[in-house]
Amino acid sequence: MNNAIEIRGLVKRYPRFQLGPLDLTVPRGAIYGLIGPNGAGKTTAIDMVFGMGRNDAGQIHVLGLDHRADEIALKQHAAYVGSDLNFQVWGKVGRAIRFVRGFYRGWDDACCAALMQAFHLSDSDRIATLSFGARTKLSLLLALARRPEVLILDEPTTGLDAVSKQQVFTELLKAVEDGERTVLISSHGLSDIERFADHVGMIKNGKLLLEGRMDEVVDRFRFVEFFSTNGTEFQNRAGLIILRRTENRWHALLDQKSDAQNWLQTQGAQQISLTRLTLEDLFVALAREEEVA
Amino acid sequence: MTNDRKSCLIGPISPAAGGALYRQIVDRLKREVSEGRLPPGAALPSFRQLAEDLLVSVITVKRAYEELERDGIIFRRQGLGTFVAEQGHNRSREAKLATAKHLLREGFREAAEAGLKSGDLAELAREVLKEKK
Repeated sequence: MNNAIEIRGLVKRYPRFQLGPLDLTVPRGAIYGLIGPNGAGKTTAIDMVFGMGRNDAGQIHVLGLDHRADEIALKQHAAYVGSDLNFQVWGKVGRAIRFVRGFYRGWDDACCAALMQAFHLSDSDRIATLSFGARTKLSLLLALARRPEVLILDEPTTGLDAVSKQQVFTELLKAVEDGERTVLISSHGLSDIERFADHVGMIKNGKLLLEGRMDEVVDRFRFVEFFSTNGTEFQNRAGLIILRRTENRWHALLDQKSDAQNWLQTQGAQQISLTRLTLEDLFVALAREEEVA
Repeated sequence: MTNDRKSCLIGPISPAAGGALYRQIVDRLKREVSEGRLPPGAALPSFRQLAEDLLVSVITVKRAYEELERDGIIFRRQGLGTFVAEQGHNRSREAKLATAKHLLREGFREAAEAGLKSGDLAELAREVLKEKK
């Protein structure tokens, strides 16, 4: 079994939004970045994995376990960190840890202690007085110290300062160090995702737009500049998204896997020049446009 | 705990340094090898370890190692790890020479675009060399 998470044909219908049909494949040992504009369906998809809401169609398997039939086993092996950071009821950090610890056979006290130090948390800290960033770190600690085989994080770095973000990613890289553990992370921090994630999936309007190895996905696209000399009005087509034009100068996004570059030449585009782009550039260009593939 | 395992074999690398991150790793490791700080037979960290040290994805390091392996600078032994090749030093120098040639070509192209003639180019090269001294 080489995939840690397999989502096939997942559908969830709401009155004003439909997720899917969605296929998502997260290879074992990877840090997988799930990206997409606000409202694309990232949180809905993640919630389905953990049975928060019932899907209308499709299957979800985590480590080969069906998310409904094997729910308990799945939750033993997979951990979830969401945006709910309401731990106040436990009063102090130490109490929250002792409470959560009891539920998991794999709980690792040494790992927990190391994380406490890395995140500058202590047993006696009052949760109510912790900063937002410190509460985020506490929720990560509670998930990481279980040593889960699959860790799913829904926007864990939103609102963290640059130092805290780096601490979090350091711990995530450490968590996947043995090659057996897998992290799925949804985030809007695209430069972080590009640096730390091995795989990326982008969803928009409930559908998967792109998925693959980070380097291959980013390398596949280029910004293209060209000039039209014969008055051609260039339109979007497979592998080409027009971003802007000024008179006869055009800027577009080009998919190098398509024949768009050849096509441009046959249409009389001149001085075609290609520029590499970042994941963020790609995201913005794709988020603006419906038709890509 | 977070920091004590960090080694400083190479790095740090940064998107601001220009070029893909994996390229930066390739270039830094080549320099370590060609300057002898990583002698033949020296063990390199696992790619997951180096990813952790440099704070980059595992795939970035893997890609860098694959390229260095293709160039004959390092080799992998299943189950044992990754090591600097016997010929790594020479290979690294060859690769550096190829890069230097490429950059010179780029430089001459720029100069030609600026209107310099081939005679001027030689003069320019001498000037740059003098600065270096």
